[in-house]
Amino acid sequence: MIPPLILLLCIVGVVCNLGFSGFTVQPDWSLALLLACVLAHRGNWAWVLPGAFFHDLALQWTVWMCVPFMVLVPALMALVDFQAGPGLPQRYFALLMTTIPLLYWGWGFDAWLLTVLLCLGIWYILARHYVWT
Amino acid sequence: MPLPRWRTNRSWLWIGLVLLVLLYVIAPMRVGPRLTLGLAPLIETLHAPANWWKQTSLWFQSRRDLQQRLVKAEASDQKQAAMIEELRVQNEENRQLRKLLSLGVIAPASWRGAKVIGHSPDKESTRILLRVDGAHSDDIVASRDGLVGLVDSVDQGHAVVRTILDASIAVPVTLPGGTLAALARGEGDHIIIDFIPAKQAPPIGAVLVTSGAGGLFPAGIPVAQVSAVEHLKGQIFVRVTAEPVAHWQRDSWLAVAIAGGKPR
Repeated sequence: MIPPLILLLCIVGVVCNLGFSGFTVQPDWSLALLLACVLAHRGNWAWVLPGAFFHDLALQWTVWMCVPFMVLVPALMALVDFQAGPGLPQRYFALLMTTIPLLYWGWGFDAWLLTVLLCLGIWYILARHYVWT
Repeated sequence: MPLPRWRTNRSWLWIGLVLLVLLYVIAPMRVGPRLTLGLAPLIETLHAPANWWKQTSLWFQSRRDLQQRLVKAEASDQKQAAMIEELRVQNEENRQLRKLLSLGVIAPASWRGAKVIGHSPDKESTRILLRVDGAHSDDIVASRDGLVGLVDSVDQGHAVVRTILDASIAVPVTLPGGTLAALARGEGDHIIIDFIPAKQAPPIGAVLVTSGAGGLFPAGIPVAQVSAVEHLKGQIFVRVTAEPVAHWQRDSWLAVAIAGGKPR
C-alpha cells in the first residue's frame, strides 16, 4: 500500500514544485518523501529509485541531481550497518548527502531547510509504521 | 563472521550496471522537457481553485473599483491598438524598402501573450512553463522589461522555455547605437558577456541589447545590465558580468514572438 501512495504523492509534489514555486518558498516534496522511505527502510530502494529518476528528470531535466546519491544511500546504509551496527549517524549523513545537492542546483537555503525538516518528519512516521507492522 | 547476503549476492552488481546504462541512455534523450509538458494539465488543475477564488472575489469588489479597472483596461487597449497599427505601417515600409534594395524579405514575427503556469523551483526560475497557442521551438520569449529566453519544446498549447540564465543559450548583444559585438551566455544565476575588448568595456549599469546578428533574436531587445567589469592582465577581452533586465520570476504573463504567425 505504501509504495503506490508515496509515488502518487511524489508526482503531486513535483507538480506543486513546478506550479507554485513562483508564489512561495516550498520544500522539495517528492525528494523528502522518497528519501524518508529509504531512511525508514533501506529495502525500499527498489521502488524509490524510479521515483528519484522521475523527480530529477521532471524538476531539473537531468539524472545527475539526486539519483546518484539515492543509489548510494541504501548501499552506504547496508555497509555501515554491517560494519558499525545499525544507527542514526549514518542515516543523518545520508540525509545531508542527498539533500545538499539542492543548494548546488540553485534551490534556496530556506527551501533546503524545509526539505530536511519535512524528510525528518516523514521518516519518523514511516519508521514507526515499519516497527509496528 | 559470515558476510551479509548483499555482499555475496552479485545481483547488486547487475543492478548497478543496468542503472549506469540507463543513465547513459536517458541523459541525451531530452526526457525532462517532455515530462514537464506532460505535467502541464495537472499543474493547471492545481491552479483551478486559485483561479475560481480570483473570479469569485470580483463579486465582493465595489462597482466603482470595477468601473475604474474597466476604464483603465480600455485606455490600455486603445494604446496597444495604436502601437500595433504603427508597427504594421513600419513593417510595410520596411518590406517596400527591402524590395527596392533587392534584399530578401524577412517574415515578421507576431507577438502573442502567454500565461505563465509554472516555473522550475530553483531561485532564478531558469525554466518556465507557458500556456500559448501556435508557438514553435526557438521562438523568442520576452517580458515587458526585456528578453526572457527561447521556447525549448511545445505540446498541445503548452511550451517550456529556457531562460537566458540557462548555459545552453548564447545571445548576440551590443550597446545601443554602438559597434560592439559580444555574446551573452547564462551561468545559472548571472550572465557572462564574452568577447568585449578592453578598449570597448561598457560602464557598470549599461544595458546591452540584442544585436540581431545570426537572425534568431530581433535587434533592440534589452537583455542584460552590466554589474561588474574586470580587466584581466595580459588578456584582450575583459570579463563582464551582468544581470538579466527581465524579471520573469513573478510575471504572470509573457510575450512569445511567433515566427510567421498572425497577431491575435
